[in-house]
Amino acid sequence: MSAADIAAIFQGAIVTITLSAIGILIGLPIGLGLALIRWADVPVLGRIVALYVSMLRATPLVTLLLLLFFALPNIGVPMSPVSAAILGLVMSTSAFNCEVWRSALMNFPKDQYEAAQSVGMNAGQRFRRIVLPQIVPVSLPGLVNEMSLLIKVTPVLAVVGVVDITRAAVRIGAQTYEPLPPFLVAIAIYVPIVFALVSLQRWIERRQTRAEALA
Amino acid sequence: MAETNKVLDVAGVSKRFGANEVLSDVSLQVDKGETVCVLGPSGSGKSTLLRCINWLERPDAGQIYLNGERVGINNAGIVMGDRDLSKIRTRIGMVFQHFALWPHLTVLQNLMEAPVQVQRRPKAEVRDEALALLAKVGLSEKCDAFPARLSGGQKQRVGVARALAMRPDLLLFDEPTSALDPELVGEVLVVMRELAHEGMTMVIVTHEMAFARDAATRVLFLDRGKAVETGSPEKFFSNPETERARQFIQRYAGDVAGGRR
Amino acid sequence: MIHDFGIVWSERSLLLSGLANTAILSALSAIAALLLGFLVTPALMSKRPAIFGLARLFVDGMRCVPFLLFAYIIYYGLPSLGLRLDNWSSGLAALIIYNTAYMAEILRGAWAVQPREPIEAGIAFGFSELKLFRRIILPPLLLSAGPVIGNQMIQIVKDSAFLTIIALPELTHAASSIQSRHYIPFAAFITAVFLYWGLCLVIEAGISSIGRVAEARR
Ligand SMILES: Nc1ncnc2c1ncn2[C@@H]1O[C@H](COP(=O)(O)OP(=O)(O)OP(=O)(O)O)[C@@H](O)[C@H]1O
Ligand SMILES: [Mg+2]
Repeated sequence: MSAADIAAIFQGAIVTITLSAIGILIGLPIGLGLALIRWADVPVLGRIVALYVSMLRATPLVTLLLLLFFALPNIGVPMSPVSAAILGLVMSTSAFNCEVWRSALMNFPKDQYEAAQSVGMNAGQRFRRIVLPQIVPVSLPGLVNEMSLLIKVTPVLAVVGVVDITRAAVRIGAQTYEPLPPFLVAIAIYVPIVFALVSLQRWIERRQTRAEALA
Repeated sequence: MAETNKVLDVAGVSKRFGANEVLSDVSLQVDKGETVCVLGPSGSGKSTLLRCINWLERPDAGQIYLNGERVGINNAGIVMGDRDLSKIRTRIGMVFQHFALWPHLTVLQNLMEAPVQVQRRPKAEVRDEALALLAKVGLSEKCDAFPARLSGGQKQRVGVARALAMRPDLLLFDEPTSALDPELVGEVLVVMRELAHEGMTMVIVTHEMAFARDAATRVLFLDRGKAVETGSPEKFFSNPETERARQFIQRYAGDVAGGRR
Repeated sequence: MIHDFGIVWSERSLLLSGLANTAILSALSAIAALLLGFLVTPALMSKRPAIFGLARLFVDGMRCVPFLLFAYIIYYGLPSLGLRLDNWSSGLAALIIYNTAYMAEILRGAWAVQPREPIEAGIAFGFSELKLFRRIILPPLLLSAGPVIGNQMIQIVKDSAFLTIIALPELTHAASSIQSRHYIPFAAFITAVFLYWGLCLVIEAGISSIGRVAEARR
């Protein structure tokens, strides 16, 4: 394996990281939106969101990607590997995020909400000024956990042809007939990223339990 | 070992945890039908003494005999294997401060579990006996409930019945009422008094001075791991020999005078 | 569109055998990972630094490695070390080893919050060794860890789909074959998605029944 090969894997890493970041950034607010629809118990739409979330949580990302990549062009939506990857990541991660946000919303103390109502805040103010600042810290560990899960499934993007870490590694393995080294390089890139997220999650949790103990 | 009467003989038992000598040279003999209350301040080694008796804790020195049979060390002079230890333990019932009922089993199953699984007695017989014991502690209607659904007093009565279901030669109680709300203490003490009357052999660690005073045949006062005093409750409470015991009794004087807390 | 689903229906035996393989693969690896997890958990709690360190390294390592890369290593990487496994063995091995780490961590967490006294009561009542474990320790442990183990099983089902890349004939692979044979991507993959969903709903039903049993005892 040459230096150029390693450089190619790192180039793939940039693709992986960029796609993950896009998936996370879009998936976060969409997950919150879905959670709000369920929380507010919007008729019909609430049920649909519940089914969507339940289904996507059960769907492996490979299967979802293959569905998007091959089926959408059939109905006239052009799909590049990258757009299929982003769409798949967003759909899947937003379903998981929805559950994290929703459980924070469900546990939100009702009396606070009513207190905000009683001082005449409108729905938008109540949400932005009272609810959101409190559910963000509660949801944070779950959201970070979901981020690390998302990073861990990104190798599957290679299946629809995205030239990410994994595809670069597979390609080099096929050229050199030595598949082990490029895979080890790929893992060496993934491990610190996931480890950083897992540590971040633990750190947040520890800080929060300490804050609770003091309060 | 000639006296057939002696159920428990603790001879010079010592136990240390690291540098902390928790029991030093403690001896205690208990005859058949006796109720011995072990008293003493917190940390004096009461629990450790009980746990040494059935070898939940392994004593560093001294011997323990149950009905003349050495506990923990076999005839060859070496530490018993799990199998032999377990056989001896089935003859010593234990009641725990926090009940220690098995949460996944119903009340009746809690009573039947060890007699059927460990003693291998016939299920039907064990069941009849368990039902009779539940009736005795006044919990017949709870036999199919899970422990989590019981009050503390009910849990502890199940704990006592569970220990009795083993037909033990000796019952050990470690502060059986101290985890209970005050108004629930009485219902457990009633059961224990009844057992004392029936001649069950018992060693009871307790802070219930009134109970010790009128239900015990003898008290043992432990202080900093030493058996400081032993004797009849009348003498111990009215005229203790040592200053430590006097201070201890004074602290709990309200208990004795006022019946119960 | 209806026509497409007709084609899927005509290929149902392929799809069902894929579903069966997914279910078997997931069930086997879940059981094996759970059993092996029971062996790793004591090491995670060991007081001997070498044993503890090795177990921690394994568990945390696996939790940081993407499953797909791990499966690649086992299938494509091990042969260069002279160890060649077919796709079933390597897929199964990958799922089992990977999830052993997760199961061990789940069991450790559940063990840490188990009350000690009931176990001590078991010893005092004469239970020992295997019987103590089987009758006194295990049931409450499984009840409290059950829901988390169930969630991990859903994760295993989803991870098993990755094994399509090593040509293991599981559900996603079956859907891919149907799609490439007939060019009906939507019908083929959406059917697979619904089958995965059904499988997970079954597992979730199992989780909530364990939850109910545990609730009655809590
Ligand atoms: N497993 C152990 N390891 C180390 N120290 C222990 C252990 N068990 C008990 N000790 C120590 O031994 C001493 C006696 O403990 P023990 O529980 O026997 O006291 P006690 O008389 O039962 O007190 P209490 O009334 O509070 O229950 C205490 O200082 C305790 O900290
Ligand atoms: Mg104690």
